[in-house]
Amino acid sequence: MAYQTVKARKSLKLRVLPWLSLTAVILIWQFCVSPPGVNDWRIPGVLLARPYDVLLLGIEKLTDVNPDGATLLVHAWVSLQESLSAFLLSLLVGIPLGLMMGWFGVVRGLFRPVFEMWRPIPPVAWIPLAIFWFGIGMEGKIFIIWLGGMTPCIINAYMGVKTTNPVHIQMARTFGASDWKIFTSICIPSALPMVFGALQIALGNCWTTLVAAELLASDQGLGYLITAGRSIGRTDIVVLGMISLGITGVIISQIIYRIEAKLLAGIRR
Amino acid sequence: MEQSAASNAKIEVRNLTKKFGDLLVLDRINFNIKKGELVAIVGPTGCGKTTFLNCMSKLTDTTDGDIFIDGVPADPVKHNLAFVFQEPTALPWRTVAQNVVYGMEVKGVPEKERAERLEYILNLVGLKDTADLYPNQVSASMMQRIAVARAFAVNPDLLLMDEPYGQLDVKLRFYLEDELVKLWQTLNSTVLFITHNIEEAVYVAERILVLTPKPTKVRAEVIVDLPRPRNFLDPRFVEIRRQVTELIRWW
Ligand SMILES: Nc1ncnc2c1ncn2[C@@H]1O[C@H](COP(=O)(O)OP(=O)(O)OP(=O)(O)O)[C@@H](O)[C@H]1O
Ligand SMILES: [Mg+2]
Repeated sequence: MAYQTVKARKSLKLRVLPWLSLTAVILIWQFCVSPPGVNDWRIPGVLLARPYDVLLLGIEKLTDVNPDGATLLVHAWVSLQESLSAFLLSLLVGIPLGLMMGWFGVVRGLFRPVFEMWRPIPPVAWIPLAIFWFGIGMEGKIFIIWLGGMTPCIINAYMGVKTTNPVHIQMARTFGASDWKIFTSICIPSALPMVFGALQIALGNCWTTLVAAELLASDQGLGYLITAGRSIGRTDIVVLGMISLGITGVIISQIIYRIEAKLLAGIRR
Repeated sequence: MEQSAASNAKIEVRNLTKKFGDLLVLDRINFNIKKGELVAIVGPTGCGKTTFLNCMSKLTDTTDGDIFIDGVPADPVKHNLAFVFQEPTALPWRTVAQNVVYGMEVKGVPEKERAERLEYILNLVGLKDTADLYPNQVSASMMQRIAVARAFAVNPDLLLMDEPYGQLDVKLRFYLEDELVKLWQTLNSTVLFITHNIEEAVYVAERILVLTPKPTKVRAEVIVDLPRPRNFLDPRFVEIRRQVTELIRWW
């Protein structure tokens, strides 16, 4: 069929290259850091842990709760819960709000000034207040992460509605469509691709804010693992926390990417 | 509510005036359209044809004067208007059939009747085979047919068409003009067709209104009482075309 999408074929070389560079980085890193207790020309272990040691620690931490109080999977689970529930909350609140701000003058008039004021404040700046309000439990962190996820949802939904083709709106008007009907049948479908585009960005925001929130106030989670490692001077724990954040982040963003692709294919542009 | 002078006209345009700031675009335009007529309006580029249609469909406010449908000031919510725009307006996230149904959906046509009319109109305009495709999968002429079908599907009191075939090549134009005439005859609609193509106007219309350049008035009215199907080579066709062209020379 003439309209089938063209699939770019990846050559073997392109498939292999990313793995090659990753392996190279790990090998060089492994080689450039001194083993524990050894003191030579290389980077000392108190500054950086070797990947091999981190791997060993990671395996051990699957079952061992020492010295930070929880296993690796518990930390990851706590972080996932916090960031995903905040992510969902920001979609639930941010997208409808952005869509409405794009179409209804009253909503825009009410929220725009507040939004403009609130937007430049980094979510982390809310941490002290969040601690006063919610303590260091999960709610406070969800609150902070939620703030981080809201911005792209609101902006993309708003822009999506704003960039609706005006001729489509006129067409609906000439049929006598009400404002609400135009909003639901024209503006929202036009905004969808941009709204889906917000999913990745919002998730990214949530994940970074998560670390900041946990670094400052918590007793579990991957961000907490990093702080705990620092306070007892264990670089391997710090690096393990960082790598776990990276890997978990990649996994969930891949999942969101899949969902996004499915949704986009569903609306066929 | 304002009531027009009683007459047997379906649509009455009374002293329609439109200014954009100080720019006078439409200057006291007056004419009537009878029920079931197909009237063409020809005018130079930028004379305010689109502005005129926008006033008729209340997309823009008029400065003065009014438009009456069945004696009541025109209102897209009350009246059954439909509009085919210069640009393609098929909604990309709906299939061809879902696009055609859109107007009826807005008008709140009952589900069952909607399905029947959809079936009927898709057959009439030859969109049956492409009903489940998306607009980006069909050709430019199909796009315009979607818009025409969507407009006719609501059984409009008045169908406004703004150079719907302006962007298409000659062969497709002929084809779609025939189709328009067929739809109009079958469905008994009242159609106001805007174009700057004189041949097209003479081919489809029963009556042609020739506009002046800005500030725009109706310069003349030409009755086209040729039998259908019309023939471009018919001497009377050629004569009417010459007559309209002559009126336009005055620009
Ligand atoms: N929103 C507006 N504000 C100011 N001037 C306008 C506006 N819309 C149209 N005009 C002016 O009104 C005049 C008529 O424009 P209009 O688009 O109605 O012409 P047209 O006959 O449809 O032209 P075309 O043949 O190109 O479709 C033009 O001179 C245009 O500059
Ligand atoms: Mg125009």
